[in-house]
Amino acid sequence: MKGYRKYFGKKIFWFILTFIAAVVLNFILPRLMPADPVAAITGRIAGGNTDAKAVAQIYERYQEEFGTNLPMHQQFLKFCKNAIHGNFGLSFSQYPRSVSDIIGSAIGWTIALQLPAILVGWLLGNLLGALAAYIRKGFDKVLLPVSLFLSNVPAFGMAVVLLVVFGVYLKVAPTAGGYAFDMIPHLSWDFIKSVISHYQLPFWSIVLVSIGGQAVGMRSMSIYELNADYVKYSRFLGIKDRKIVGYVFRNAMLPQVTGLALSIGTMVGGALVAEIIFSYPGLGSTMYSAVTAADYPLISATTLIITIMVLIVTFLLDIIYGFIDPRVKAAQFE
Amino acid sequence: MKKLIALALAVMMVLSLSVTAFAAEGDVVLPREETLYFAGQQWGTVNSWNPIGTNQNNAMAIAAGAGQREIMFETLYMWNVLDGKLYGLLANDDYAWNDDMTALTFTIKDAAKWNDGSDVTAADVIRTFDIGVEIANGTGSSYGPFIESIEGEGKSVTINAKLNDAGQPVNPLKILDFLELTVIANAAWIDQVVEACGGDATAILNDDGLNDAGELEVPYTGPYTRYFDDDQKVVFIRDDNYWGQDASMWGKLPVPKYIAHTIYADNPAGEVALKEGEVDVCQQFIGNVQNLWLEDGLPISTYYEEAPYGVCLTMPTAWYNMNMPVIAENPALRKAIAMAVDYDSIIANAMTNQSPSFADVPRSLMNPTDGEQALYDHDAVADLQWAGNDIDGANALLDEAGLVDTDGDGIREYNGEKISLNAVCPNGWTDWQASMEQVAAAGAKIGVEITTLYPEYSIYQTVFVDPDQTEYAIFMWSPDASTPSNPWTRVNQFMGMDYVGIQNNWSGNWGQYVNEEADALIKQIPLTTDEAELKDLYTQLTEIYLTEVPSFSLMYRPSVFHAVNESVWTNYPYEGQTYTMADGSEVLVPPADCTDGFGIAALYNLELVG
Repeated sequence: MKGYRKYFGKKIFWFILTFIAAVVLNFILPRLMPADPVAAITGRIAGGNTDAKAVAQIYERYQEEFGTNLPMHQQFLKFCKNAIHGNFGLSFSQYPRSVSDIIGSAIGWTIALQLPAILVGWLLGNLLGALAAYIRKGFDKVLLPVSLFLSNVPAFGMAVVLLVVFGVYLKVAPTAGGYAFDMIPHLSWDFIKSVISHYQLPFWSIVLVSIGGQAVGMRSMSIYELNADYVKYSRFLGIKDRKIVGYVFRNAMLPQVTGLALSIGTMVGGALVAEIIFSYPGLGSTMYSAVTAADYPLISATTLIITIMVLIVTFLLDIIYGFIDPRVKAAQFE
Repeated sequence: MKKLIALALAVMMVLSLSVTAFAAEGDVVLPREETLYFAGQQWGTVNSWNPIGTNQNNAMAIAAGAGQREIMFETLYMWNVLDGKLYGLLANDDYAWNDDMTALTFTIKDAAKWNDGSDVTAADVIRTFDIGVEIANGTGSSYGPFIESIEGEGKSVTINAKLNDAGQPVNPLKILDFLELTVIANAAWIDQVVEACGGDATAILNDDGLNDAGELEVPYTGPYTRYFDDDQKVVFIRDDNYWGQDASMWGKLPVPKYIAHTIYADNPAGEVALKEGEVDVCQQFIGNVQNLWLEDGLPISTYYEEAPYGVCLTMPTAWYNMNMPVIAENPALRKAIAMAVDYDSIIANAMTNQSPSFADVPRSLMNPTDGEQALYDHDAVADLQWAGNDIDGANALLDEAGLVDTDGDGIREYNGEKISLNAVCPNGWTDWQASMEQVAAAGAKIGVEITTLYPEYSIYQTVFVDPDQTEYAIFMWSPDASTPSNPWTRVNQFMGMDYVGIQNNWSGNWGQYVNEEADALIKQIPLTTDEAELKDLYTQLTEIYLTEVPSFSLMYRPSVFHAVNESVWTNYPYEGQTYTMADGSEVLVPPADCTDGFGIAALYNLELVG
């Protein structure tokens, strides 16, 4: 128990250090962009004004509002103080909307799209990879090239192909939006059906691309494990195939679990490509437009959420590893 | 496993819906035959419903295109880009100047009402202007320098012009702009917001026009009101008590019950929806738009059946940066580059011929409308105009000016240094990027090194509004399109000195061109009422512009695009279509997206197919 405490104490220390470094970078990096978003807001309100003093006053007013007139370290302290209370300030690009409001309205869609897509892609990919390694023969000969092909199709390519084939030509799925263009959100089966029907293409565009990569990885790991000494030794001992396969998959699964955890950690970054191609709501396109508009508060807030998610997931992973792999547990005690 | 996945999906879906769920009162499925769908106006989520606020990003309700958008908040007058006239909306058609143009009077229509049934009065007009000046919103910034005060009682209003040192009005044309571009807000509501915000200007600007429950609080006068909005769409519903059904205005309600705008991620998504019939009115540039009906056989049309398909009102322009000595000191260089550019290629490729060529409409300071074209003497400037791709002429001009290549590297020199410039526009603005490529190609043909540069818009818009910048040599921006103060405003943007040295200059003369003679002529125009004198002034200014070339336009372009799908609705504005006014007169309906200025008349002309 003491070993655990020491191990996790050390881990927590490093996580906190990483977190602080990430927060500083999240804050500073967007602000190093050679853009002045306050000028853009001033322009929107002062266009046509020929009174230099009046324009300067408007500019100063917004500088004060956003705190961009303060030195960087003071801005940072203000940011930290507000962030602790969940207040990330006002967005530059969607001013006067607050960053929390923007993230709040988009994050539900992102999680609803990403989480099932990541899980299904991971499950199907690993299942197919493991089967390919175990069955070999014809199944593997078909699955391997298909998986390689899928894993190398760029996400936007897959999304566009699905859009054109199923949306435009076959007309079996809608091409844009999170629900029907003629509906107002309400709780009814028709509306839920509409959401599901709009969900299909963005969902499969993510799943298909991730299946390939997962399957290739799982297949290689499984083949490696199937040839390991402990498998041969187990066979000599006459242990049943089913039992051996259990050992094999447990060992082959480890790197895949890491991949899954990291995918879940970064999922709030949104499925940028799917969101843009299918005009699907979510944080991906929000982040993209924040970056192109140099919307520091929105960029900092979304990247901070991603940072926290990744750190939490990595920490949990460390704990889970100890349980699912005794070798890791042993290493943790060293 | 399959059931588990299905269950997980369903749970996720319900969770996500709980975030955005909205219990709509009324239709939850918009009846197709009662709804007019738009694309290309609303990008991103609506920020606010406050007509005196800022950055509302509420393109269907509070914005201007070819006139002010009139569906929810209304202006005193509607601008018609086709005939260049103002038509009374909240106000009667009786606006009149006093003799020295220091005061403009008009009356508000007796029938004009707020949505709660109360009268629109002079107090609303006065308060709208006063609060604008107090909190420096768009109205205050744009018209504060030109309007001294607004006074009146009941339905009578007087706008007093700000006077210059000579006791003359600073600019009567800008007062006409106020009439058609300022949406009138409710005086009582303004007082309520001011009180709630403790008089703080920023808080007033940021008020979203909604109450704590998220319901619309701001009064409106227009025929439609907010029905629903989220990250994916904004929907308006007709107010069947709209005052405009009075015989003194439209005499009826607009035809569609709902107006809906899906928020698409980009132009291609909107175009796909237009083709699918999910969009009726599309305000987007569609390359080779004619192919939609000629090749795809879709029931899609534009204002004109033939090119340029729409009414072009503005001219995206390349501005020379006069902070750079090589540019400022060499008018011959400026003109030579402009002469060498292949505009026909830009118009054919970047605009897919949705612009008249410079052979059809020779370049000047005017947009291609008949009204503006009649404002200058074409013959007087014919020798100065160029249609482009004149490499020999450009080379001769440069040789004559002594800008020659002395070291044999193919690039001309000035003061011993090779002439090397950049041509800049925002990344992703593809038609502008194609234009900048043509400018660079023109440079290569005449021995001037021009490299293209496409920064992100967030960076671009910070640099080009800086009056001291020396980063961009040739850069693009569009001048004003069509308002009562145009072409004066546009000419002022091309050569006026009001904008020289202004920090965060979003207003005009982005190249910081200084010409006192031109500036003096520009300043005479707003006070000139004699037509011949006006024509003479504009002709002189055109001569200066075409000689000095402080900037050069690359194409003509509509201020709003107008492609319509006629699978559900028909009788959209087409060439020659009119609206019958209350007095029986026929007025041309402009292709102004069915929402802008007098273009809103289109909503009263619409008919269902079949």
